Amino acid sequence: MKRNRVITRRDFIRGTVYTTLAASLGVGLSNQSEVRADEKVKVVLVRDEKVLDQQGRIHADILQKMLDQGVSSLMGEANPFQAWKKLIKPTDIVGIKSNVWNPLPTPKELEAAIEKRILEVGVLKKNISIDDRGVRDNKVFLSSTALINVRPLRTHHWSGIGGCIKNYVMFTPTPWLHHPDACASLASVWSKPLVKGKTRLNILSLIQTQFYGRGAHFFDRRYVSDYRGLLIGKDPVALDAIGARLLQLQRVTHLGEDRPLDTTPNHIFAADEKYKLGVSDLQKIEVVKLGWMDGALI
Amino acid sequence: MKRGLWIFLAFLFIAKLVISGALAFSADRDGKSMEMKRLFPLKIGSYQSDGKDEFYDRQTTFRYMDGAAELYRSYGFKLLLVRRYIKTGHPPIVVETFDMGSSEEAFGVFSYETGDEEVGLGQGSDFGGGLLRFWKGKFFVNVYAEQETPSTNQDVLNLGRSLAESIKSEGKKPKLINLLPKEELIERSIRYFHHHQSLNYHYFISHQNILRLGEHTNALLSTYASQMEGKTFFLLIQYPSQTSAKEGLQNFVKAYMPESSSSKVTQTENGRWTAAQSYKSYVMVVLDAPSREKAEVLLQSTQKNL
Repeated sequence: MKRNRVITRRDFIRGTVYTTLAASLGVGLSNQSEVRADEKVKVVLVRDEKVLDQQGRIHADILQKMLDQGVSSLMGEANPFQAWKKLIKPTDIVGIKSNVWNPLPTPKELEAAIEKRILEVGVLKKNISIDDRGVRDNKVFLSSTALINVRPLRTHHWSGIGGCIKNYVMFTPTPWLHHPDACASLASVWSKPLVKGKTRLNILSLIQTQFYGRGAHFFDRRYVSDYRGLLIGKDPVALDAIGARLLQLQRVTHLGEDRPLDTTPNHIFAADEKYKLGVSDLQKIEVVKLGWMDGALI
Repeated sequence: MKRGLWIFLAFLFIAKLVISGALAFSADRDGKSMEMKRLFPLKIGSYQSDGKDEFYDRQTTFRYMDGAAELYRSYGFKLLLVRRYIKTGHPPIVVETFDMGSSEEAFGVFSYETGDEEVGLGQGSDFGGGLLRFWKGKFFVNVYAEQETPSTNQDVLNLGRSLAESIKSEGKKPKLINLLPKEELIERSIRYFHHHQSLNYHYFISHQNILRLGEHTNALLSTYASQMEGKTFFLLIQYPSQTSAKEGLQNFVKAYMPESSSSKVTQTENGRWTAAQSYKSYVMVVLDAPSREKAEVLLQSTQKNL
């Protein structure tokens, strides 16, 4: 693809643009060359039908098990302790970057499950903090040596989706400066000194996903799905690319029609092409699936 | 020494301007705050205001609604009042009232989403998923319960009706709407906006702003539908000048339909037709028309109204 070329709707109809955007827009993935398995970025999808009870409450023990399975698989270890030891050292100062958005926050049970494993590795309690909007004033985050990035997957009015890349916007004092061009510059936040090179693990909570936005705060309970999953990986761009695809498929399934051309999450594409933060091409991402897969869509 | 004195005096002068500007802004905001506070009664039926009104302006509204604030900022949003109405044993009902500066802008933000039921409130309403949206005069209002219970939908509607009646002045819709041909027009599909991000939300054209839309352009996207021929989209844009309209059109044609040359009509890859034209300070674009003739008829009919 030529640099600075204007991409229009017609390119999507032709199917000639890059895979992530095409996927987010619901266009078939054509003309993609085969990618060898060992060249692919690995992400792990874990689902368990019983993680939510009939009232929609989370079973913390099942969620812990899902997290353990996912992290172990990602790191190629038989048990979570060994897996987390590969990610975190006892001497690390760890910030768990969460998300407190009121309608659909990171589940407290998931935050607790992550913290539990980090403590088991040997990190002192005082050297762990869970925060979102206060990260720039949080002493643990300010002196952190490692970050764990965890948030729910949802559509977002201005950036297309709220995923791993966008979750770091609170590390800047002026988040709104990233709003132009559907938040295309979001990945630049990842090169800020407070963040750069520190992220050991990214987790998209798919326990509930918001696949379509509407209304005052771009939240409508009718468009929230009990997907009962976690998507875990080291590459935030790959997780977001898979997440964008999932939300699109959920929209199609629920609405009975393809609404592919809402705000496109082109910040994912920019994170790959411009900021070199990770891989957005779905052909170059391997999704390892664990557990219950009914209606998984991806 | 003299030079230093002049610099000091200039500094004092600038400081005075900044301070008086800030004070004027503050006074204006205070005036609007008082107007909005008085707009709605504190007690509506058996619901009572909790007395904790919150105000947000264009700068501070992100604190309240994260990235969703960009929608309101892309219109002429001035001030937001958030008020909670409470009733024992019921979840609070949140009322978000936006002073949009003008009725055109209030209609614009309302027109952004009209996928649910019109319930006859204000000058236009939309109710679904527990959320009531309506506009009247220069105000756009959201009403919803913090949690849904079997009774909240009716309570939201009742409250909304009283709120709408409390706004005494009505306002006009954007004049551009009067220029649209009426045949096969779906009235509720009309979207009024200024920025290309809004256009892309409704109908993706390009990530880049190839029509050169912005705060100085007024745009309508409308849908024409027939059972036999499906949906045709029509974009009508008013630019600040004839020159800027011509430039907008040229840029669009170059990026979107380069093969169309002087005719500015082309059949796109989905078999539908796109046609574009500028006239005076307006640009008209027909998208996904079933035939070339249909596209051209829509352009000609509109031009007669300009």
